[in-house]
Amino acid sequence: MATITEVLARPTYGASGLWSWITTVDHKRIGVMYGATAFVFMLLSGIEAGVLRTQLATPDTDLIGPGRFNQMFTMHATVMIFMVIMPMGVAFFNFVVPLAIGARDVAFPRLNALSYWIFLFGAILMHFSFIVDQVPDAGWFSYANLTEYPFSENMGLDFWAIGLLVLGTSSVAGGLNFVVTIINLRAPGMSLMRMPVFVWMTLITSILLILAMPVITVGLIELVMDRNFGTHFFNPTGGGDPILWQHLFWVFGHPEVYILILPPMGIVSEILPTFSRKPLFGYPFVIFSGIVIGIMGWAVWSHHMFTVGLGPIANSVFTITTMLIAVPTGVKIFNWLGTLWKGSIELTTAMLYALGFVFLFIIGGLSGVSHAVSPSDFQQQDTYYIVAHIHYVLFGGSIMGIFAGIYYWWPKLTGKMLNEKLGKLNFWLVFIGMNVTFFPMHFVGLNGMPRRIYTYAEEFGWGTLNLLSTVGYFIIFIGVLVFVYNIWQNRNARRVSHDPWDAPGVEWSIASPPPAYNFAEVPHIKGRDHYWIEKDLAREAGNPITEPEPAVDPSTIHMPSPSYWPIITAAGVGLIGGGLLSHYGVSFLGGLIAFIGVIGWSNEPASAPEEGH
Amino acid sequence: MGLLPRKRAGSPPEPIPDENAQRPAPRRNRLTRLAFFGAAAALFLLTAACSQGFQSTWDPVGPVAQKQLQLFNVLLWTMVAVFVLVEGALIYIVIRYRRRPGQPRPPQIHGHTALEITWTIIPTALILGLGIWSVFTLFELDQPPTDQGEILNVTVTGHQWYFEFEYPDAAGGKRISTANELRIPVDRPIQLILESDDVLHSFWVPKLGGKVDVVPTRQNRLWLMADSDLIDQPLPATFYGQCAELCGLAHAQMRFRVTVMSEVDYQAWVQNYNPPQALTPQAQQGKTLFAIHCALCHTINGPEIESVAKSRIDSFLTGGDAVAVPGPNLTDLRTRQTLAAGITDLSVENLRAWIRNPEDIKPGNWMSDKAAFYTDGGDANLTDEEIDALIEYLLNLR
Repeated sequence: MATITEVLARPTYGASGLWSWITTVDHKRIGVMYGATAFVFMLLSGIEAGVLRTQLATPDTDLIGPGRFNQMFTMHATVMIFMVIMPMGVAFFNFVVPLAIGARDVAFPRLNALSYWIFLFGAILMHFSFIVDQVPDAGWFSYANLTEYPFSENMGLDFWAIGLLVLGTSSVAGGLNFVVTIINLRAPGMSLMRMPVFVWMTLITSILLILAMPVITVGLIELVMDRNFGTHFFNPTGGGDPILWQHLFWVFGHPEVYILILPPMGIVSEILPTFSRKPLFGYPFVIFSGIVIGIMGWAVWSHHMFTVGLGPIANSVFTITTMLIAVPTGVKIFNWLGTLWKGSIELTTAMLYALGFVFLFIIGGLSGVSHAVSPSDFQQQDTYYIVAHIHYVLFGGSIMGIFAGIYYWWPKLTGKMLNEKLGKLNFWLVFIGMNVTFFPMHFVGLNGMPRRIYTYAEEFGWGTLNLLSTVGYFIIFIGVLVFVYNIWQNRNARRVSHDPWDAPGVEWSIASPPPAYNFAEVPHIKGRDHYWIEKDLAREAGNPITEPEPAVDPSTIHMPSPSYWPIITAAGVGLIGGGLLSHYGVSFLGGLIAFIGVIGWSNEPASAPEEGH
Repeated sequence: MGLLPRKRAGSPPEPIPDENAQRPAPRRNRLTRLAFFGAAAALFLLTAACSQGFQSTWDPVGPVAQKQLQLFNVLLWTMVAVFVLVEGALIYIVIRYRRRPGQPRPPQIHGHTALEITWTIIPTALILGLGIWSVFTLFELDQPPTDQGEILNVTVTGHQWYFEFEYPDAAGGKRISTANELRIPVDRPIQLILESDDVLHSFWVPKLGGKVDVVPTRQNRLWLMADSDLIDQPLPATFYGQCAELCGLAHAQMRFRVTVMSEVDYQAWVQNYNPPQALTPQAQQGKTLFAIHCALCHTINGPEIESVAKSRIDSFLTGGDAVAVPGPNLTDLRTRQTLAAGITDLSVENLRAWIRNPEDIKPGNWMSDKAAFYTDGGDANLTDEEIDALIEYLLNLR
């Protein structure tokens, strides 16, 4: 492969412009790319939600027909889950984890870049369905056999399944990378029980990703085979079993719920102590409850299937296991309250979002218990009561946690502070809008409104509350616009110190934005709240810390060199998927490109020789 | 104390205290007004929220829905109690321990093991208690009672997009099929046997009981009962149901109704179902049209239409041009209340509009897609006289 490297010069460290972003292996830049891409998809998916809410605002609305409506809710959920909340979590893994464990990068920087590019190409691939107007329309759960011929004849479900297969590759690669990074690259002194909670939650989430994604992959491959190669895994007319799909989907799907919520729980566990000026209450219990959730998450999947007719014995077992998972979740909440107790609470925007997370997640958790109980769930399954629940958990939980993390780590990322006044306006609009949108849905659901219906008659009495929900949507929408404006005006903001929050994490000891090498000198971790300990020691020594770790000449530090092989390999993987949707020749070409990419990758020297280190 | 209003430095001296009328501070006054408006708004919303709609789960008319509601109510009030305690604690702590200027670093507490054990054990006990009770309820509701009258079996078949009901053990071996309207006698357990003809559906009549999915390859069971003590309207009384599992384009339009009748009325309905026919000339013309245009998908119980349908299907299997999808059985249509899976009332005008262009009423339906006389989403290629003849045949069979 020497010839190829000669044709296209190896990108050098410290290059600038677009090329430097395309070839970057820097975890911070990859984190930013993940976050920015996910945010764009969040706006897109939010607009889809707006179409849904407008259609449902009044009875018998004539805005869009059932076909478009089914596409909108399918893509809203699929995008929010796989292209917004998951990659937002990964954005934080990328930006925060190496900094928080005192490492210079992740264990496999090029694999990390590969994960991002595959994610991007997979997401674009799925959105091609809009261009050819064959959009997936069987829900984010895509229950068989509605997904089979002849009930779903256009290519929507192929886009969905193949898009998710490509995205899944990215998730497994990312998961492996972070497990290895966290196990191997911790700074000296950072024992497992000194790791920040966010890093712990990243570790658990990564393990869940590695174990859960293969299950959905099996299901998706079977679905693609059924649709394209005449197998009958889920097709009853050929002897297949549609319920098999539900098992495969939810064995993945329930751990997936924790993949979505554990990272924000970790974010909140970082923010609450900082702004209470108190260490996290019951650290080992918070960690252990996270592990217990990660394990128990595998034993509850059938609560999504209480009405399938699995019989009272299966339903009893899953009722009890599901109810019990509320216990470790409750332990986390009590420990967060313990952290706040007797603290010195500063209500910054990040803290407001973290508190909003706790407040709303409690509501989502409580309604969760009511449909963990299967006889009660028989009336709630597939109604707006469930829609309310999942949005309290995923919006009130995950999205609030993600906003909290953005406001918290933004000064570290840019060296500038987001405007706090705008931030608070942003928080209150989103918080109020969120409750106005989703709280009435509990009642609409209990009044008998099923999910996924595009219209309803006036006499069912669901009009008022649906209108209220739609009003709430627009409040959230304005709140998100305020956030966008806050980001936009940030380019003029004043620089702040490296440690504006007086935070405990080791990532705050270096300059903002961090230099490419992160730590000039690998830190020796002194305890759980390392930087608080450091600052205390320095203050006692009469020499308080006011400056970040001084910068050094980057050429003296060995860093992984940029590489274009990840994007080439990822393009190959994307084309394999694209070919399955168009012409198999394209898949063959993609396979060839991916093959060349991997060969080139493995023959690339660890760092460019001309850099001399 | 963060909760108490504190005197601001440099504020004007307080008015002379009046022992009889302690005037509240203006700030309080505003709070009271705010609380009043808040309460009024909450009350308004609660009224809207708990309005007894057609499909409200708050208003059970049978033992299954009632037991499920009882269980939910206990859970609900437990949730409300936990909500008030935990959220109250959260709000209290956030207000009470707000940072004040110049405040020193608070005591660095790392945890409290006894507390951790307490708040693990109490929720576990609470949850196991509720869980065990739920399991008992689950088993209790699993099988219909055998001591409350003879169990009536009804076969429910889910189709895209309507429910078909058949009564396998009707008196005298009579074949009874209806679509979208289930008629049941009051105070008798009904055993529903749920089957699907195509994709997943879910059978749900909120006021009678929770839902059970209708799954191809499976025969699910659900029992329901209408209790005359719980129904606060004269019989026959109608209750609403709807498919609750996404089943394709017209999922939202897959509604149905359950008519609860007295035992006597129910038996009379069975007796009078599909009486012998004496057709008017117009109805006779309609019957011919029905045989030509409709009989491939729809049927009317009786030898004539069935034999026509059979010959059409045979010709289809040997290379005909039409495509058969099962449509609702139209026997005794005149006794039904609604049209097109419960979307509109059954009337001559609505039926005419439906035959003229079903896509306007129920987007996605198979009829406008498959029947030969509809051009792409357009009107039927039938004259007004032909449609009237069809309606005469369907509605005025006597």
